Amino acid sequence: MRIFRIIYRVVVESLIGLKQSGWSNWFVISILATALILFGFIMQVTLTLKTLVNSWGSQLEISVYLKDSCKPYPEAQKIGAMKGVEQVLVIPKEEAWQKMRKSFSVAYVDNPLPNTLHIKLKSPTYVEQLAPIIKAMQEVENVRYPLKVARIINQIRRFVEIGGLFVMLAMSAATLIVIGNTIQLVIQSKQREIEILSLMGVSHFYIKGPFILQGILYGTSSALIASGLIAIVNLNCEKYVKLQLAYLAPSLTNNLEFGLTPIYLMLFGLGIAVGATGGAITSGRFIKL
Amino acid sequence: MILFQNVNKDYNGRPALSNLNLHIGKGEFAFLVGPSGAGKSTMMRLLYREELPNSGQIFMGGVNLNKLPTYQVPRLRRRLGIIFQDYKLLPKQTVFNNVAYVLRALGVDEKNVEKRVISALSVVNIESKKNAYPTELSGGEQQRVGIARAIVNGPPVLLADEPTGNLDPTTSLEIVQLLAEISQRGTTVLIATHDEPIVNALRKRVIALNAGQIVTDVDSGVYELKGNS
Repeated sequence: MRIFRIIYRVVVESLIGLKQSGWSNWFVISILATALILFGFIMQVTLTLKTLVNSWGSQLEISVYLKDSCKPYPEAQKIGAMKGVEQVLVIPKEEAWQKMRKSFSVAYVDNPLPNTLHIKLKSPTYVEQLAPIIKAMQEVENVRYPLKVARIINQIRRFVEIGGLFVMLAMSAATLIVIGNTIQLVIQSKQREIEILSLMGVSHFYIKGPFILQGILYGTSSALIASGLIAIVNLNCEKYVKLQLAYLAPSLTNNLEFGLTPIYLMLFGLGIAVGATGGAITSGRFIKL
Repeated sequence: MILFQNVNKDYNGRPALSNLNLHIGKGEFAFLVGPSGAGKSTMMRLLYREELPNSGQIFMGGVNLNKLPTYQVPRLRRRLGIIFQDYKLLPKQTVFNNVAYVLRALGVDEKNVEKRVISALSVVNIESKKNAYPTELSGGEQQRVGIARAIVNGPPVLLADEPTGNLDPTTSLEIVQLLAEISQRGTTVLIATHDEPIVNALRKRVIALNAGQIVTDVDSGVYELKGNS
């Protein structure tokens, strides 16, 4: 029971500290919340790109466009005999042209489409191995495969991740400084209480605890604001994004779903960690027991 | 209760205490006298482990303070009552809350807090002013509150660093007589002071310090720094 009474007093003291900080609280919370919102959106962008990459990467297919001078079926046989190839589907240029004309009202012009081979592979590891070999064949005009696109998206994702991480770290450092300054002011105003408590044998936990808890409360409030904002943005933008994507890549819209819970957990974890670290560093630096 | 063995302490090479040896028994009442800079406050700070000696050993109730880990310092201080010259009261708290503040921080339940605070305030005869704020009290009354706070946790040792420094002679005598009464209940009391009249009035043990060394240590003594009392 004694420990609960002490914890209760620590909570009361940290709430007094918050009251004493006044408007500084909102300054700290707004900076930390901005850092967390940024972090949340970066996480969301990278998660979306990751899902997109995985979704495309799982389509184990290479599209081969043949030269007009070449006959598709012998080429299909040749490629079908290669290691790792599961199936080769031939789409003759005439068939493709007819389909296209059915779908779209195309003017009477010469068929511009090439003979195409869709190659299904046994494993994604064969994609990058076979694609250059097939492209080097004399009869082949061009080769396309989703992994190539996936690789570019991955590069963009990595850039966003690293850039975002740097911005995040800079904002966290700024937040630590602001938390430090705010808590330092509270420590200064409570210098007499701290001195009395220390000389009367009150534990270090009781003396420093309220300042660490104050930092944690900053982190929690900031994470709450950041999570709320991200949830609102998601709720309003999700339909629009899906609608846009449906035009661009209809097969992907169903594969882009991922839960926001890990993002919220990360926001709270990071917010609490930054707040507690700020409180711990400042109380360690300015309270000499 | 308190034992100094060959204690040396210096600040940036300037000696504050030199080869100090001292023993104060359980329940004893002693004055630590000497001019400013004699080393009285240094001894006090060493006793409540605010500082460590450069060499030598200090024991408090059998505990070697040199070997006491930092995390156990609060436990040591809970066995001490410390009284200050400037009272160190919280101006925005009532007398009751000033005394209760530490008890609450130590996790004592509210029923016991009230019982112990009232008891401590009655020992120092200031129970009637429990709802007053320190700014509404005289210097002597404020020091009584400081003493009540020091004894509220029932410590076996009371350390007072110039407790009468801000008080008039009559009030000073009252405060020191109060501390002597507390000592008669079994508490070891050590008062650092350079207030000659109160030392001479009480005729208790007087340990005189000069330039970091004990020059006299006399039972039922008077304020004397030259070692010929």
